[in-house]
Amino acid sequence: MDDFQPWLVKTLASAKPVAHLMRTHWAWPICETLHFLGLSMLIGAIGTFDLRLIGIGKRIPIAALHRVIPWGIAGYLLNMTTGAMFLMTEPDQYIYNPSFHFKILFMIVAGLNVLAFYSVVFWKVRVLPAGIDTPLSAKFIGAVSLSMWIGVIIAGRMLTFYRPGVCMTEALSFPFYCVPR
Amino acid sequence: MHQFFLWIETSAFSVWIRESTSVFAFPSILTAHTIGMGLVAGVNALLDLRILGVASSVPVVELKRFFPVMWFGFWLNAISGVVLLIGYPTKALTNPLFYVKLASIAAAMVLVKAIQKQVFPKGPDKTPGYPTRLAIASLFCWAGAIGAGRFLAYTYSKLTSLD
Repeated sequence: MDDFQPWLVKTLASAKPVAHLMRTHWAWPICETLHFLGLSMLIGAIGTFDLRLIGIGKRIPIAALHRVIPWGIAGYLLNMTTGAMFLMTEPDQYIYNPSFHFKILFMIVAGLNVLAFYSVVFWKVRVLPAGIDTPLSAKFIGAVSLSMWIGVIIAGRMLTFYRPGVCMTEALSFPFYCVPR
Repeated sequence: MHQFFLWIETSAFSVWIRESTSVFAFPSILTAHTIGMGLVAGVNALLDLRILGVASSVPVVELKRFFPVMWFGFWLNAISGVVLLIGYPTKALTNPLFYVKLASIAAAMVLVKAIQKQVFPKGPDKTPGYPTRLAIASLFCWAGAIGAGRFLAYTYSKLTSLD
């Protein structure tokens, strides 16, 4: 990690046009607004689908509700784009931020969970008629997805309080440990 | 008004919200407000999109099952919003954008009630309607509320009435 983090900061910071754009008057808040809209799209589409997997709204056929997933993916892509723009503008504020490390970790688990869902569970549940309970594997995947995305929101919102320089090691050592710099 | 802001800002609860270094003070209240936003705007947007023709094989009446989640998000944000307001009354109430945010949310509430009446009709003989214009207006209201809320952090003129 000793070499990796400085290298990553340097690499991200090399995207100068993005940083330049982001430092213009309203660019940062506009991107934040888009990031929050993307978050709502992701929760509205993927979060609802997760609830259906868990067992809420059983009378909606899973294959029918699955049609909303592209809207969740659109929210995800919007947030990956705006997120990358924040990262390229202030790389050290994220790369050395313990809250960001957890955000990435939750996103990786959510991503692996998506792979598990489409490789094993989706083919079983998409043929289920309305009113039939989902198997335990589907409930588990829905619960993991929902908790990971809520975790991503929590870690994302907490970023600001664990920024290197702002992070008060003693006061805010929970839930993330501050990285002294 | 200055006296009123000062009265709130000098209260123990307001001071705690602003000055506590606990992660359970300001950081957690803000986090709760963000989760609530995702739930209320997200589920409401899903209903709006369904009315506009997305995932048309989903029986629209069944989306009612997700409404408790939406209302949970709404009340979580009503409460966390009031708490944030107690922390920073001057900051919010002296910013015109704050009233834009409140008006957007109020309009979104009126719209969801009107939409609900049409898509979840009472009585077995009624068929659900598809109020597409109300659904579009609802999407704009939520986007407006989120945008206004986000810009509050950049457009305030006065943080507190103290000093």
